[in-house]
Amino acid sequence: MTTTAPPTNETTSTTPRMRRWVQRHGWTTGVWITLFILVVWYATLIPKFGSFQVANIINGGTSWVFLAAAQAVVVIAGGIDLGVGGMLVLTSAAGAQYMEGQPFGVIILIAIAIFLGAMILNGLVGWVISVSKVPDIVVTLGSLYIFQGLALMILPKVGGGSSGAFRWLFTGSETGISSNPWPAIVVITIPIAIVAWWVGRTRSGLSIYALGSDPNAAFLSGVDARRTKIVSYAVAGGLSAIAGFSSLAISGVGNATTVGGNLTLNSVAAIVLGGVALTGGIGSLIAAVPAAIILFFFNPILSALGVNPNYAQVIQGVLIVLVMMVAGLLEWRRRRLK
Amino acid sequence: MTQQITDSGSQVPDDPQKASLGRRIAARPQLVLIGVLVLLIGVTFLIQPTYLIRDGSFTFAGLRNSLLFAVPIGILAAGQTTLMLTGGIDLSIAMIATASAYVTANQSPQGAVVAIILGIVVGLLAGTANGVGVGVFRVNPLIMTLAMSGILLGLFTQWATTIFAGSTRMPDFVVTLGQGTLWDIIPYAAIVWAAVAAIIVLMLRRTGFGRNLYALGDNLIASRLAGIRSWQVLVAVYALSGVLGAIAGILMGGRIGAVDLQLAGFLLLPSVAAAVIGGTSIFGGVGTYTGTIIGALILGVLQSMLTFLNAGEAVQQVLYGSIVLGLSWVYAAMSRSQ
Repeated sequence: MTTTAPPTNETTSTTPRMRRWVQRHGWTTGVWITLFILVVWYATLIPKFGSFQVANIINGGTSWVFLAAAQAVVVIAGGIDLGVGGMLVLTSAAGAQYMEGQPFGVIILIAIAIFLGAMILNGLVGWVISVSKVPDIVVTLGSLYIFQGLALMILPKVGGGSSGAFRWLFTGSETGISSNPWPAIVVITIPIAIVAWWVGRTRSGLSIYALGSDPNAAFLSGVDARRTKIVSYAVAGGLSAIAGFSSLAISGVGNATTVGGNLTLNSVAAIVLGGVALTGGIGSLIAAVPAAIILFFFNPILSALGVNPNYAQVIQGVLIVLVMMVAGLLEWRRRRLK
Repeated sequence: MTQQITDSGSQVPDDPQKASLGRRIAARPQLVLIGVLVLLIGVTFLIQPTYLIRDGSFTFAGLRNSLLFAVPIGILAAGQTTLMLTGGIDLSIAMIATASAYVTANQSPQGAVVAIILGIVVGLLAGTANGVGVGVFRVNPLIMTLAMSGILLGLFTQWATTIFAGSTRMPDFVVTLGQGTLWDIIPYAAIVWAAVAAIIVLMLRRTGFGRNLYALGDNLIASRLAGIRSWQVLVAVYALSGVLGAIAGILMGGRIGAVDLQLAGFLLLPSVAAAVIGGTSIFGGVGTYTGTIIGALILGVLQSMLTFLNAGEAVQQVLYGSIVLGLSWVYAAMSRSQ
């Protein structure tokens, strides 16, 4: 890290600013650079690297990105939402059940309805946490089961579907397989940019950081803890719904037996890799995006290396632990330097 | 966390007589849990009278089944309880259980004793690795154990077709242990659980190690200043959790007779739920194993009830989630009014 160089006399005016920048954005930048290096490395590993591979990574990574963003919002607010994976399964099952055979206009209306429904449902989870004062992890453990069960009620068997235009929106092709990453890039960028702006620049968004870093200080400075909690969960619900739409568009059918718990665990791993502190109040949404793509990206890279997919999972686990150890070490050194 | 804010507001009991009754109950929250357990048994009896009465006379068959459901949950939840006391959690315990059972089944030609010991060694090793990650390298327990779960799944998916390609049948002794009953009333598995329970309860109440767990979870820094070597305690308690996972997995394998990689995965969330319903705080420092035992029994009876309801997977999951949520809400409300 460049920040540890002792400040010399002529740079005293720029070094603290730089140090602050590195402290604020260092991790985010590092994750983006890691992703970039991985992409370049991957390109040299496989015989042909073109738009098809790029589209594959981005399309497949879309639902991971949204689930990670959903988890990031809740964790920054000082909670944790084990139910996001269940919400993904529920929204994709609902989409598959009600969208099949409808014209595109109606599908968009249904998608909006599901999106709003997801926000309300997960907002309700936030309300329950706030009123009952049961820890987040316990309430969302319950909501994970409930969402998964509701998904099975709506779509008892694998099936249903969406439409070609809907699938194009998330994958750049009506069949779900394409060389066109642009629709997915737009679909990722716009909602993430809106939520990142909301979290970083608005009063209600910043109160999420306040609540997550110190609930008492937040209360004393006029943050409505209950409202903030509910809003953070509602936003997470909406983002999980977009993740659900993306996974529906890619697979083409709904499957309510997908294990939502595993998806949740991926989202937790992604935000930790993205530098969001599980203790709340620290981290950024933007860093969760490349981190989620990196996690998704592990599998194609390791298979390009000829690693058996089972060992790929082992390596992924070991890498996550190593990253956490390095992060812990850096944090410990930073605190000692202070 | 939000509790601190709202609790500073005054809570004046409106009716003194009611309040004193409430306080009397709140002083012994486990009595209420036992009440819930009895209530659930009653409801199950109403749904399906053969649960308690067959051919006009009382039968243990139904309760024995519930107990068999509860045994693996209860043993896994012993691991979760001890870890939660330190502020940790083990998301890999179900996978450790599966891995241990797999090794035991594979080594069954070497005789039951060797096979069981090898299975337990697997749990001990995986648990110790978790403990080193959490205790020495300060990796967040959620992430550490999540990664461990992925690592074990990858390794055993690979090894299932290579070095462990042999037997997937449990040794006869373990099958007897998992399925048999003493005098047609008490399952052997329940006797194993009782032994485990006695050790855990005594350990938590009577030994320095047990008290250290509470101290660590209550205030890590204070306990370190008081001379507790926190990393040693953490390594030991995660290793213990691994061993408990192994015992639960081997019993579970014995009940089914053969193993596969989906053996115990579905028990992960119930193991957390049992500890939480039993009043163990996920933030550490508060909880008892006796509460967890009642929590596991409640989940066991609940499983019987849902089976009798014959309502299908979907309704079962929704009910399961709602009941876990409702019970923890009630418990939180009671312990607050204390």
